[in-house]
Amino acid sequence: MTTEFSDDVAEDYKRALEDLTMNSRYEISNLTVIARENTEHALAISEALKSHIKQTSPQKKLPAFYVLDSVIKNVGTPYTIFLSRGLYSTFMEAYALVDNSVRRKMDEMLKTWKEPVPGALDTRPVFPRDVTGPIENALIKARTSAIQAQQEHTRSQQQILGRGRPGPSPAPYRETPTPPNAYRQPPPPIQQGYNSNYTQQQYPPAMNGQQYGQPPHVQQPYGLPPVSRPFSCRFDYTNRDQRPPTHNYIPHNASAGSWQQPLPQQGYSAHDNSIDELNSDIANLITVFKTDFALNPLDGSIQKRLKALLDLQSIMQSQRLPPQQISEIQTQVAKLSEASKATPKAPQSPTPALVPAQLPQQNSLSSLLGPGGQGTLAALLAKQTPPIQTRSPQPALNQPFNPPPVSVVPTPVPDTGSLFEKLLAAGIISAPPATSTPTPNNALPANISGYRPPFIPNPSRTPLGEIPNDVVLKTSSLKIPRPHLISSLYEKLGAPCTQCGRRFQSNEEGKKKKTAHMDWHFRVHQRMTEAEKRGQHRSWYVDELDWIKSREVEGDQNTNNSDNTNGSGVASSSIASKPKLQYLPVPDDPALASSTCPICTEKFEMKWLDEAQEFVWMDAKKIDQRIYHISCYEDVNKAGIKRTTPEPVLGKRKHENDDIAVRSKIKTEPY
Amino acid sequence: MNIPGLGQAAPAVSCTTSFSEKAQKADDKQATFSAPTIQAAITVHDLQANSEWRFEVAYGQSIEVKILSGTAEIFGTELAVNHTYTFRGTKSSIFTWHGCRIEVNGPCEEYMAEETPMITYVNTHFALEKLRDDAIRNGGEGPRVLVVGPNNAGKTSLVKLLTAYATRMGRQPMVINTDSREALLSIPGTLTATPFASIIDVEQGWGSSPTSGPSPVPVKLPLCYYYGLASPEDNTKLYKPILTRLALAAASRLTDDPVIKGTGMIIDTPGVISQGKGGYDLISHIVSEFAVNTILVLGSERLHSEMQRRFSTYKTRSSEAITLVKLDKSGGCVDRDDTFMQQMQEAAIREYFFGDPKRTLSPHTQQVSFDDATIYKIHEANAMLSSFLPGGEEDEDNQQIGLYEKVEPSSMMLHCLLAVMYASTRDSQETVRDASVMGFVYVAEVDEKKRRLKILAPLNTRITDRPMIWGSWPETTCKQDAVQ
Repeated sequence: MTTEFSDDVAEDYKRALEDLTMNSRYEISNLTVIARENTEHALAISEALKSHIKQTSPQKKLPAFYVLDSVIKNVGTPYTIFLSRGLYSTFMEAYALVDNSVRRKMDEMLKTWKEPVPGALDTRPVFPRDVTGPIENALIKARTSAIQAQQEHTRSQQQILGRGRPGPSPAPYRETPTPPNAYRQPPPPIQQGYNSNYTQQQYPPAMNGQQYGQPPHVQQPYGLPPVSRPFSCRFDYTNRDQRPPTHNYIPHNASAGSWQQPLPQQGYSAHDNSIDELNSDIANLITVFKTDFALNPLDGSIQKRLKALLDLQSIMQSQRLPPQQISEIQTQVAKLSEASKATPKAPQSPTPALVPAQLPQQNSLSSLLGPGGQGTLAALLAKQTPPIQTRSPQPALNQPFNPPPVSVVPTPVPDTGSLFEKLLAAGIISAPPATSTPTPNNALPANISGYRPPFIPNPSRTPLGEIPNDVVLKTSSLKIPRPHLISSLYEKLGAPCTQCGRRFQSNEEGKKKKTAHMDWHFRVHQRMTEAEKRGQHRSWYVDELDWIKSREVEGDQNTNNSDNTNGSGVASSSIASKPKLQYLPVPDDPALASSTCPICTEKFEMKWLDEAQEFVWMDAKKIDQRIYHISCYEDVNKAGIKRTTPEPVLGKRKHENDDIAVRSKIKTEPY
Repeated sequence: MNIPGLGQAAPAVSCTTSFSEKAQKADDKQATFSAPTIQAAITVHDLQANSEWRFEVAYGQSIEVKILSGTAEIFGTELAVNHTYTFRGTKSSIFTWHGCRIEVNGPCEEYMAEETPMITYVNTHFALEKLRDDAIRNGGEGPRVLVVGPNNAGKTSLVKLLTAYATRMGRQPMVINTDSREALLSIPGTLTATPFASIIDVEQGWGSSPTSGPSPVPVKLPLCYYYGLASPEDNTKLYKPILTRLALAAASRLTDDPVIKGTGMIIDTPGVISQGKGGYDLISHIVSEFAVNTILVLGSERLHSEMQRRFSTYKTRSSEAITLVKLDKSGGCVDRDDTFMQQMQEAAIREYFFGDPKRTLSPHTQQVSFDDATIYKIHEANAMLSSFLPGGEEDEDNQQIGLYEKVEPSSMMLHCLLAVMYASTRDSQETVRDASVMGFVYVAEVDEKKRRLKILAPLNTRITDRPMIWGSWPETTCKQDAVQ
């Protein structure tokens, strides 16, 4: 193995990671398999993974962590060793950047790291205690100081309100070694700078480099991910004056971009103009929303939209999008701007200079968009437009700041999919992708059979939301592994019955069903022993008509019906009165009890009928004070009637319904 | 019990390549497994996710299997963890989506396989689920799925898998068996329709039809018709009308029963009809009678193209087009020799009268006078007839001969099964043919001097008022122990 080769592997792996934009089990399991098959390059892969986690945008961090989780749980050493190095900083740094829902996922993941791999023989925890311990401690400390942070936050906000509206604010990027916190949570676990717990966060980026050797890509000072960092920072309420020119950041980005694949800027130059415009529009909108957010810090919808915009911006900066997508985005952005201008609620008047500039742009963009050009993004953004119209009070579009040129960090793969995922991840549409298990643990494609997922149907991390079932009966469609669908045969059905493996939902109805089900098991066991002594036999099959009329019920749900202990999945409905096995309790009158059938002159056969809990004569019926064999009686009375199914059956039934001595069950029932 | 189609396969590759190395080599279509081994002691197997443990237990032997952790399923039915399952006389497999540990106690041939068509199969299920959702939304009928393929291609296993998955998701599929060689919840020779609403008994193949006592696994309620010959081509003049009757009953049930209607049907077929011209006509017959709108072709390219030719422009009664999909045969499918089939038959018959190891049934012996018994013998093979007759006269002659021949009991009947029909002794042959089966009796003794039959019936009821049909399938079983 050569280092060169390792580098190649790491490079490939990194690229694969970059494509991982959402929590896709399939991709994650693939990455796991690749890791498994290249254990000789474990170091390089581990480093690639770690640096990816550090550098990727917050939305991509969780999936990346899932890869890490999957690799350590399914491949184990040597990855555990390599990845445990610097896990603290990898984890904490990411933790500081992501939003609360992702944090919860990360907490859960951390919890599983303290336990052994589910189902594994090895009882040692996934990561040694000394690796997870410090992370936990830091998190606890962070949480305890969160209250303090909140107070700080509230105070700073009052300040703002006291000061009135600030002037048009440029991108609130602040050149600070502190990685910006998520901008939205009112009580961020770690508040910026002011708190004593700042030191506990231990972000010093230099440490990262030291800690795990020199990764293939040199960490930037501050370890800032080049893509989304400047925009995912919180709205800085207090340090409004510190506004280093954004340009400072750009070269920084450019150099950071070296870890990605800088592409020669060809073929896209024609769009640069519009991209620049678009970026500035986005930046403007962001500012609007930020101000808005400052006014309504608790309004989740503003947060979401703001975040979506930030993400969009980071995408714009990190990826080269095809012109068509760009123009789509432009349209939507223009619409948003228009909307936010249309309903100014706040006292600020829009800056007139920019308004004319906006409108023509929108028009031209609309004309640019072909009818087929409306993609998912357009639809998505369009969906968001109406609420924005009612909410954006800040038409502050005049930004004395130039958005970063798109050319800074070109990504080799412009991908609508990933853009979509990002927007999805940003919460612009309702299904949050973060509702997935830390480990993609359910079914996996056949080719990664080595994957041993920790199978814990833990409701608190129910996976994958509602990914639609898109299978069609076509060979090509059928061959695609869809691990997420398998869960609808397992976890989604609830927890299994310990006796038979049948699953029951954990909701109220499911619980009720399960109780009934367990009762049924109990009764069956009880009755089985009794039945053994008494002797039992196969029943006749049902007749056609009865069968058509019968209904399958869940055999175990019929608790009030004590007869149902045969566990039959069958109960009669409309034909409960249909006598199949007719019987008559043995008469008390001794004279009658010794009587014979007047037709065949044979005695009646006495037998114990479990169902009736008494001795009965089968096939017997009392008609006009005399007891007959039903079959004899029918033969006599209906001789000559030709049987053509189903009429004779009907005829028989009618007759029997007239005077049934004892209503009996259909013959599927025990007797 | 019979779990057809799976079991010991002749291993194409016996290699010891490690799992991880093989994991992604999709170009290597061969399953990687070690050679089958016989083992007796308690062993524990660790199954990787998406792999399958295939095992084979000889008749007369049994093994106990316990899932220690993880999840596992047998033909789609999930197994409970830490519950001991006993298997006898079976060729079966345990599949896991998530990986599991299995403890096995007892002698069996077994091996592990990683290459399975399970992804395709489960996707087929989900595709059907979508059709069912649509059907329920529109108040229509769920898909009528026909599974065709040559013998031992895994048709019944696939049917069982699709049934189990549907049942797990709260559906109630109507399972139709048109293969008289193997019974579904009944005795070979019958054609059945059975709605499935509850878990399939993994130890007993499909489960059990109702008995007088409790059952640890909910029983299923089959509707049976008696064909009584091994191959549909032996007497298509009998087979086709019976199928028509079966389809009619099943369709009536569907109309009445909204849950089953929304789920649709899954139809198993005999392998022989997938193997030739005459068979294809029977497939067409099934397709039209059951209004099939989905055909799954298992493992035969030729059959697939033939089906395409026949059904690509075909429209069902409600003018639906037919969806035709070819699915891969599982590497676990194995040819079952005549001995095994015979044992399977005998086991099914024994189970009918005497129950399974979990509960013993006590059949009832009764004497029937020759004069009281109405017995029809099925005419063998139209093929045979036509070979003796010049072309064109066949139909005429057949009609003259009739469907059945009324016969006197004779020593020929010893150890044979007679199907007791829901009909009257005075009914015409067509009526008897169209009647459903009430049950079976076994001829234990024929006393030609005293003109009495000793028969074994499942329960003590008069049967002489019913016509009985004597078929050549299942073949005469000489198991004396079955009578004791």
